[in-house]
Amino acid sequence: MDGGPRGTGVGWRTGIAAVLDDLDGLGFHEVIAESLHPGAVPGSLRRRPVVVHGVRLSPGSPDGVAPDRVAHLAACAEATGAVLVSEHIAFTRAGGIETGHLLPLPRTREALDVLAANVARTRAELAVPLALEPIAALFDWPDDEFDEAGFLHRLHDRTGAPLLLDVANVHVNAVNRGRDPRAEIDALLAGLPPGAVAYCHVAGSAVHDGLLHDTHTDPVPGAVLDLLAHTVAQLPGPPAVMLERDGRYPPAARLRAELDAVAAAAGHRPPLPAGGPR
Amino acid sequence: MSAPPSGGDLARRQAALVAALVAGGATPAGFDPQRLAATRRALLRKRAGLVAAAWPLLAAGAGPAWQELFDARFAGVAPYGAEREGWDLARELAAAGRLGPGALRELAAREAASRYDGRTAPRPRPVLARWWRGRPR
Repeated sequence: MDGGPRGTGVGWRTGIAAVLDDLDGLGFHEVIAESLHPGAVPGSLRRRPVVVHGVRLSPGSPDGVAPDRVAHLAACAEATGAVLVSEHIAFTRAGGIETGHLLPLPRTREALDVLAANVARTRAELAVPLALEPIAALFDWPDDEFDEAGFLHRLHDRTGAPLLLDVANVHVNAVNRGRDPRAEIDALLAGLPPGAVAYCHVAGSAVHDGLLHDTHTDPVPGAVLDLLAHTVAQLPGPPAVMLERDGRYPPAARLRAELDAVAAAAGHRPPLPAGGPR
Repeated sequence: MSAPPSGGDLARRQAALVAALVAGGATPAGFDPQRLAATRRALLRKRAGLVAAAWPLLAAGAGPAWQELFDARFAGVAPYGAEREGWDLARELAAAGRLGPGALRELAAREAASRYDGRTAPRPRPVLARWWRGRPR
């Protein structure tokens, strides 16, 4: 995507900001809109291109996106000079309850209508493109009309919105449903135009209740790095790729090693620390 | 199990699903009850983590029993924000004499700094009131 994020990035979090400051070779940061005050953007966020990542817009809500949340995304994008805004193909609230969690939509025409309308409303306020991320979910709705790839192809046809492809989400969704993650990636990419993937996410996972959970607090498993490499091989060029780590931060050396592995799988140079090689 | 309802009613169906996940509602027809139960527990884990971050001494005082303590109080209760959830839990445990010294200090500091009516967002107390409540006794 022209003008979008490039190279290897990391989700900017205050808990690892100092480590990230020391890595000259990082391509970009993603910052969670709900953790950012547009009037007080941290200096270390201004060092690199930024993607503003929303988690509470609820684009899957039939009663529409909240104007104040759209305005906040727009204000964050402007304050950080963001190259892109991203949100999720999900809903977070219903019946007056804010769950604080990304919940899956039924893969139906009705859900496509809701998403298309809310994406259009949101984009009208943004000066940069809005990328959409398919989520990880432990369950599906009983009345899906499409499979995941078919649903996402139709959504892309309807909105033209670039995709934020979270390879770890594809991995956990496939494993929890007894499917082959590579086949899921293949089916998805086969129906999208070249350049539809704005960037990729990778993250760690852990087993609870016999199911694989997308935790963002564990190391990225080798299977996800392999799936990233498999994904990259089918794209026109190495996509921007970003490590999501939301807590239980590893020591700096381990975080750097993990970033090197992510960069290698994506076909990028490793993000070297300031002051030369380690 | 009855047939899943047809489309055209997404808002109502989302509300039923959310109620089942966080507010003690029944599992809507057609959904896998075990997968919803796993999601329910995942949401409680995430929520307990947020409250632990907002109330570190409260969570640390409970140690390995924190998740169990949190679930016993908040399973089936719709989320209303980590600050207030932790505050309610701390007050209830303090009243029951079940709060350790660290968590008691944490609660006292919050009570001194803000006024919380148990229903709406806590509001900072005026500076003088904060000094009066926080003075050594």
